[in-house]
Amino acid sequence: MAKKRAPTRRRSSKADREFISEAEEIVERMRDDLADLNDQRSESDEVDPELVNRIFRSAHSLKALAGMFGFDPIQELAHRMEDILDDIRLGRVSIHSSAVSLIEEAVAVFGSMLERLGEPDAIADESERIANLTQRIEAARSESQSDSGGFGALDLDPSILRALTEYEEHRLRENIERGRNIVLVESIFEIISFEEGLSDLSAAIREMGEVLSTLPAPGESPDSEISFSLLAATELSLAEMTDRLNFPNAKVRLVLDNPAGKAAKRAREPAPAAESTESHPELHAGERNPEGDALHSLKSISDTVRVDIRKLDELMNLVGELVIQRGAIGEVVARLLADTKTARIGTDLDKVCKMLDRKLKGLQASVLDVRMVPLRQMFDKVSRVLRGLRRELDKDVRLDIRGADTELDKLIVEELVDPLMHIVRNSLDHALETPEERIAAGKNPEGCIKVEAFQRGNHVVIAVSDDGRGIDSEKLRTIAEERGVIRPDENLTEQEVLDLVFVPGISSRAEVTETSGRGVGMDVVRSNVTALGGVVDIASTPGRGTTISMTLPITLAIIQSLVVRVAEHRFAIPLNSVMETLLIEPAEIQRSEGREMLNLRGDPLLLRRLATEFELTSPPADAKQFVVVLGMGDQRIGMLVDNLEGQQDTVIKPIQGPIQSVRGVAGATELGDQDPVLVLDVASFVDGSIRKREAA
Amino acid sequence: MTGLKPSSGDERATASWADLARNAGDGAAPEDRPEDLRQLLTFEIAGSPYAVPVERVREIVRIRPITPVPRVPVEVRGVISLRGEIVEVVDLRRRLDLPPIEPGRSTRIVVVSSETGKVAGILVDAVREVLRVSEDTINPASSGESTCVEALCVRGEEFVSLVDLDRILEIDAEY
Repeated sequence: MAKKRAPTRRRSSKADREFISEAEEIVERMRDDLADLNDQRSESDEVDPELVNRIFRSAHSLKALAGMFGFDPIQELAHRMEDILDDIRLGRVSIHSSAVSLIEEAVAVFGSMLERLGEPDAIADESERIANLTQRIEAARSESQSDSGGFGALDLDPSILRALTEYEEHRLRENIERGRNIVLVESIFEIISFEEGLSDLSAAIREMGEVLSTLPAPGESPDSEISFSLLAATELSLAEMTDRLNFPNAKVRLVLDNPAGKAAKRAREPAPAAESTESHPELHAGERNPEGDALHSLKSISDTVRVDIRKLDELMNLVGELVIQRGAIGEVVARLLADTKTARIGTDLDKVCKMLDRKLKGLQASVLDVRMVPLRQMFDKVSRVLRGLRRELDKDVRLDIRGADTELDKLIVEELVDPLMHIVRNSLDHALETPEERIAAGKNPEGCIKVEAFQRGNHVVIAVSDDGRGIDSEKLRTIAEERGVIRPDENLTEQEVLDLVFVPGISSRAEVTETSGRGVGMDVVRSNVTALGGVVDIASTPGRGTTISMTLPITLAIIQSLVVRVAEHRFAIPLNSVMETLLIEPAEIQRSEGREMLNLRGDPLLLRRLATEFELTSPPADAKQFVVVLGMGDQRIGMLVDNLEGQQDTVIKPIQGPIQSVRGVAGATELGDQDPVLVLDVASFVDGSIRKREAA
Repeated sequence: MTGLKPSSGDERATASWADLARNAGDGAAPEDRPEDLRQLLTFEIAGSPYAVPVERVREIVRIRPITPVPRVPVEVRGVISLRGEIVEVVDLRRRLDLPPIEPGRSTRIVVVSSETGKVAGILVDAVREVLRVSEDTINPASSGESTCVEALCVRGEEFVSLVDLDRILEIDAEY
């Protein structure tokens, strides 16, 4: 038996691509920010400090990225760039010096290196240029170090001055030079809610100026309280500021009454900035916020920790197990309460448990929050790929992206990139017509693909719509019949026909690609999304376009489940899909076309027996049955089960092993007693795809 | 971790997994040619010895309740929970076309992983020992005879069948 080794070369080229795609993103951002910076430099003598910070952060990220992938020359240059940007943002090097042109040059070098990274000698070819550039950057740095002045004029405790970071000192100096007044706002907060209070106060101050530093004040305050001093710069006078700052516990003290300020302010009176200070505080807030945040985000460069997602999984697992253990304690409490002799202890324990519950909820929420990421990055990737494809395919298309700030569990996002890319690619490849065809059809020659994300209840919907030719359902049906997926006499609704694109036997055929405007592998998209506990829907109007939407749970983490029983088997159903439960007599079940139905307050509800779907032993037909009404999207079905066993917090886990996925099963979970219980994939029951296998 | 105690017979019930591995090392060939040596965990199915490479074994656990999974091939007995991980259990008897038996006292689940990190439990009648064998006692199995034995290791009179874990772990289908 020869030992198998992963082929390292192929892996490294994949790594290269990964690096290039991420690095390109960063360099692109640097170019944009540099352009803005140059605009600002040419217009005034003051640039937005956040802009410099952003470029600094980009250089920092690029350095880290290049280091991770082992591109030493890029790392080195990014490092130098970071140094000089650091000097600029700390005021050691003037923004008007030649430093900026050096930075521009460095960005250009990054760009050309990334383009050529696939070539064997790319790095070697550029190394001389890089060495030369790093030298010049070093020279520029040592040349233009400006001196740092004292803060003698400030009426400020030296201990506060000492506590300032170099950046904060620089901002302080900068603001004094700009003629702004410096104030110290002191405030006391309740210790339990100080974070909120502090951030409210900071926000209020930011509306009037810039928060330079937030320092905990030395405490003669009682234990339940904590005081903070906020050093701030403002163009307002002390009186104006005290007047506007509506915080009963906050005291404002003038640290520097800047004489230069009044002149400067008068001179600039008609200028928009000054005006907004006077009459539109909310406008001003928007303008100032980035500056104030810059302080925080700057700090976060060193405060941020990159965490392997698997570690978060472990954490999530532990939290999940805690919740399960908590469930077990609940059972003990119930036993204690049931016995009059132990009822008192039970009550006490119950109280403690309730407190534990609150803390657990908080813990769950924080761990969840860590995992959430905005969809922006994924959408950016899609947009990049689309731009490339557009050139390749010579199609005129506009990408309309909405809802990029919608957040989703990082793991789900990772798993979504491929399906989303697939759908968008299909739209471009097959659904959109050529410009000529579009003109002939009376459409705008430029096609449009809209990628939209929004939250709906406990789910996030990501929808891709195009305004292309739509799906020819007649042809789709014909092909399905030819392939034996459906019988010619089968009675299908329009929607059921459209859903055929997700059936493996159909969508993997190339012919359908051309005729129906939908490409290969939609079955793969569906199985990927299903594995995440989501559902894919399709809607199409011939000649008008197609919309494919993926509905996904916000997180794969802890959810409430309803535990049901069929024969001796237990199953968990995610509670967010359960609309209601009913107890019915067998006589209430009606039949239509061989399907079992229930009259649910005047509406027909299709029934499915879990025992039948899963080929389990059926209960005697005359027993009372429970109906769990399941809803997903707009569809409803009733699931017949033998018994309901109650609600539980559950952590859905993937099933590991040789069988990749089981239709109807989303994963498994452990209940208090440690036996795994299968979690139903509600979507496949609701949309009937649990039966598609037999059909295909 | 009690789950790591291999115990085919009662006399070994207290030996730790590491002890077993060490013991196996003692009686075998000298340490100076580690390249040619393979460590195999042997176990029993219907009286015959089978083996998997030790480095692919994650742990050995006693039989525990297995939750059946609907509509999968019979060789997949169901899933178990391993400290939070949900893992499928493959009944090697079924895979070898042998009649299934009720799990007994010596029944174990050998948890193995593939090179790609795929994990599964293998249900075996009993775990025997860790063998140190030299590479040249291992002969490829004659093709076509079995679906999941990739090689045979000659141990004196006895043949130990090396289970092809990749075949076991990649049933590779949707159900």
